[in-house]
Amino acid sequence: MAVTADVIPRRPTLLLIVVLGLLFVLMSLSSRTRVGETRTMFERTVMTLFSPVPKAVNWIGRNTADMYHGYLDMRRAVNENLELHRKVGQLTTENIQLRQSEGDLSRVRSLLAYSEQFSIPTAMAQAIMLDTSSRFKSMVLDRGSNAGIEVNDAVVNANGLIGRVVLTTKDMAKVQIVTDGNSAVGVLIERSRRQGVLRGDGAGGAQLYDISSNADVVEGDVVLTAGIDGIYPKGIPVAIVTKVEKGADLFKNIGTKPTVDFGSIEEVIVLHTRKVPGEVARYVP
Amino acid sequence: MRWLRFAIGLLIALTLHSVFDSFFPNALAFFNPYVILIVYYSMGGNVFGAIFAGVIAGLVQDAYSGPFFGLHAFSLTVCAYTVASINSRLVLRGTLAFGACLVGAVIVNEMVIYVLVNILLKQKIEMFEQGMIVKTLFTGLFGMLVYQLLTLFLREEPIEATRRPSGW
Repeated sequence: MAVTADVIPRRPTLLLIVVLGLLFVLMSLSSRTRVGETRTMFERTVMTLFSPVPKAVNWIGRNTADMYHGYLDMRRAVNENLELHRKVGQLTTENIQLRQSEGDLSRVRSLLAYSEQFSIPTAMAQAIMLDTSSRFKSMVLDRGSNAGIEVNDAVVNANGLIGRVVLTTKDMAKVQIVTDGNSAVGVLIERSRRQGVLRGDGAGGAQLYDISSNADVVEGDVVLTAGIDGIYPKGIPVAIVTKVEKGADLFKNIGTKPTVDFGSIEEVIVLHTRKVPGEVARYVP
Repeated sequence: MRWLRFAIGLLIALTLHSVFDSFFPNALAFFNPYVILIVYYSMGGNVFGAIFAGVIAGLVQDAYSGPFFGLHAFSLTVCAYTVASINSRLVLRGTLAFGACLVGAVIVNEMVIYVLVNILLKQKIEMFEQGMIVKTLFTGLFGMLVYQLLTLFLREEPIEATRRPSGW
């Protein structure tokens, strides 16, 4: 051994030859065993010894690929989510519009059906302004004299009487509604046919006047237009009796609630009522 | 310290080998990281160390590639011995010298493999010349880049020359 230790450092070529010889033997053995797809024990040992490196590389590579694909999936999901949010917004808007159209259609249909009851000419209009908060309860329509609307035309919707036209321009009309303090409508009680005058109280309701204390009126009675004032056609629902009290004199105090909800008026029908000529109205025998 | 550096280099070479094997299978036809490691180590001029380094690096490469176990160990040992022997007589320093050694080593490595495959398997490697040229070019360029970076960051010669007497 002492000889070997002394010779080898001085003879690296010898060492090379020995090493290469050993490697050649190893290769020959390996070459034969590879045919049967088996590996030498030495090869297996080297592989096992260094196996953590390829395993770690593979693990890192796989996880990096997973993370990358996860990131791509996440980006795709975020974009998809944004797109879906946009679509939901669009569909929601569309849905609201369709519901609104459906409501409009339903209202217009009922209004048309209602307008067919009248034998007089009618015009349909849209309420564009409604003022029920001030003393003068009024409403502005989007159609005026160009549509044939005149002063004193009655304005109704499917629920009943709204009021009368008090002012017209070419393309607009102002309506005094029945709850206005200056409004007066000739009416009758549907059940007992007792006639009276309905005046607005300026506070969202109306009082029924000129009903004698012995008249048959009870709460819940329906009040219709009497058709005697030369403005409103006969038989349009106006109000429901809500309060009946004995008055201080010969008449009853009767409170009513209009059949129309003035807060939700959209489309209306204007009735071109036959006006009483001025000379007839003014004629005193 | 030299062996520690060699061990780290071997792990890096094996990592590159695994990365290329897993994700860029064709890359190993253009580039051999083990030759760079061996030339880098053998530039120190320690012939004995170089022989052992060649055997170890070659066996590791053989464990994961090659037609039979020991082929790369054989070729890398020849390369390591040649480079170390030259460097034990001549003072070769600098990126260009390293590049020249590397190019020579790659050519020797490829030719030894060619001969051994011919002898043991009675087969000829297809497109051997083209493959060798490409591998020499890419390995040489990459090795010079690595050498330059190591010189810049370590601020020292890669492996200190030992100048041991050789048996030529």
